[in-house]
Amino acid sequence: MKILLIEDERELRETVRDYLIREKFMVECAENYAAAMEKVNDYDYDCILLDIMLPDGSGLSVLTHLKKMRKQESVIIISAKDSLEDKVAGLDLGADDYLAKPFHLAELNARIKSLLRRKKAGGDTSIVLGNLTLYPDTRQVCVEGAELTLNRKEFDLLYYFISNPNRLIQRTALAESVWGCHIDQADSLDFIYSQVKNLRKKMKSAGSQAEIKSVYGLGYKLVFDTP
Amino acid sequence: MKLLRYTHLNLSILLFLLLGGWGTFFYYTLTGEVKNETDDTLDNYRDIIVGRILADSTLLDTEAPIVHTYRIRPLTTEEALRYRDRYCDSTIYIETEHEYEPVRVMKSCFRATDLKYYELELHFSTLERDDLIAAIFKYLIALYAILLCCIIFSTRLILKSVFRPLDLLLEWLELVMPGRPAPPLDTQTRIVEFRTLNRAALAMHERTTQAYREQKEFIENASHELQTPLAVIGGKLELLAEHDNLNEEELQYIDDIFQSLSRAVQLNKSLLLLSRIQNRQFAATEKVDLNDHARRILQLLSDLYEDKQMIYGWEENGVCTVRMNDDLAHTLLMNLIKNAIVHSPDRSRVDIHIATDRIEIVNDGPHPLDPQQIFKRFYKGNGPHKESTGLGLSIVHSIVSLSPLDISYHYDGRYHFMLKVLKREIRSKESQIFPDSGRYFVSTKHYNPF
Repeated sequence: MKILLIEDERELRETVRDYLIREKFMVECAENYAAAMEKVNDYDYDCILLDIMLPDGSGLSVLTHLKKMRKQESVIIISAKDSLEDKVAGLDLGADDYLAKPFHLAELNARIKSLLRRKKAGGDTSIVLGNLTLYPDTRQVCVEGAELTLNRKEFDLLYYFISNPNRLIQRTALAESVWGCHIDQADSLDFIYSQVKNLRKKMKSAGSQAEIKSVYGLGYKLVFDTP
Repeated sequence: MKLLRYTHLNLSILLFLLLGGWGTFFYYTLTGEVKNETDDTLDNYRDIIVGRILADSTLLDTEAPIVHTYRIRPLTTEEALRYRDRYCDSTIYIETEHEYEPVRVMKSCFRATDLKYYELELHFSTLERDDLIAAIFKYLIALYAILLCCIIFSTRLILKSVFRPLDLLLEWLELVMPGRPAPPLDTQTRIVEFRTLNRAALAMHERTTQAYREQKEFIENASHELQTPLAVIGGKLELLAEHDNLNEEELQYIDDIFQSLSRAVQLNKSLLLLSRIQNRQFAATEKVDLNDHARRILQLLSDLYEDKQMIYGWEENGVCTVRMNDDLAHTLLMNLIKNAIVHSPDRSRVDIHIATDRIEIVNDGPHPLDPQQIFKRFYKGNGPHKESTGLGLSIVHSIVSLSPLDISYHYDGRYHFMLKVLKREIRSKESQIFPDSGRYFVSTKHYNPF
């Protein structure tokens, strides 16, 4: 899977690139509008991460250009401007998703994977991890073919974990993704604990090979060792 | 006291006194003149009578007929030597009319051809003269009254038109707010001072607006510029936390950094939201059902209060609708309800009462908050929640001040936050201030329970 990362801030570019490379993506970077246009014209990618504010042009023009060329890349806009107008403008121009800075890398990873799954031929968007299969469209989870009943929050949690297997998930990232941006009190994240505990219990009793583990102080990890 | 009334009153008092003084002076001068005239006439009579007597001494024994009469009385030489001519007012009895008539009396001394001294007493009826003076008095009073009224009335008109540009300027100044477009200041005055004043007011407003805009832009830009470094720190931390050989202590450090980072991120987001609200980037308004919002928010926050083993009371006495931005309505209620949950002790209770024109959110808490301070930025009471940004209620306040709503707070052992829908007031305010704008501007009045 090839990803083009268009971002002018070197530090952020490198951080995102490192993270995505660990996810076994092939990542190419463009640091400005000119470089971005060049890469977009010359190569095909599966997904493009696009910063709107570039030093020598607008990311939105890159998007317009892509659509004019009828390219099939999925585009995720990464913007420092978390404003509704920008979001609407970006999505209207044909972007597939919009992520406001600052974001959790796990969140970015989950969004990229979700987009790539949707693009996959055949429309099969299910995610398989060992004997665990998750169907995002029907919101179903099966372990060894038997359905596992989860409530809405538990499903969202598992969906997030399964998009980032074997990676450390911060509690705040979980809270933001599953509970939305209205949970912002850093000291009130205890409720996540009980939800994760319930999910873990359900998965264990269903016999899932993947297992949610607490990482001291920080958050959780969905551990699955490929046999 | 208004400037117009003050000036007018002073002018009126001055005119009243001046005109009154002038009138009195005029009256006395005129009556004096009239009296002098009578005395001159008497002098003439005397000269004529004395002349005739000198020519014909038989006349010494005569008296004149009615009204203009004279009497002649002989004087001794001593009397004559000490004699001085005298004028005085008196009355005489007119037998035909059976009444007293006012007369002017002149007593004069002369020496007749027989070398004896005589006193001539002349009576001159002043009936007409007094009528004249009475008429003068009457007309003078009328003139005084009319003149005073005319002058006072016309000065009022003139003053009013003179002060009109000032009144307009004052009205304009009251409407002007930094960050809002200034209503037109169309006072076409020829008075240099007022023109200068208008120009100065406009220039001042421009400067304030400029400063306000720059400050806002600064906050906005600073917040935007912070997003990327915050994203970098977060990303690097995520990468760092995934290193396998971290011990517990190091993980704890990373967690601490993460906690602080998410607080910074939250602060930054709140500041951006605040500046966006104040920049009116949520312009689209619609009829919003607040009951529905509150219900959904409680649903969203169920994990929060369940975790704290809290219960909530829900009382609906009607549907509360308000014309405002839907996102802002959500943010508003979210902040209020979440505040109530987060700042309540465990196992306590939150009550939400909804009526057609108000929503009250009540929760438990041991310390009263300072009603003057709670809606200010970065106010954090004295509760244990050091992690809160202190911007939640400030955001609430910003939203309320842009919506047809009012918020008040009071404490009676529990915290009461009351949102009221302003219906009539808003309509009049809107048309009064910005007749052609679809936006609402209402000041938020804080209810002070103390």
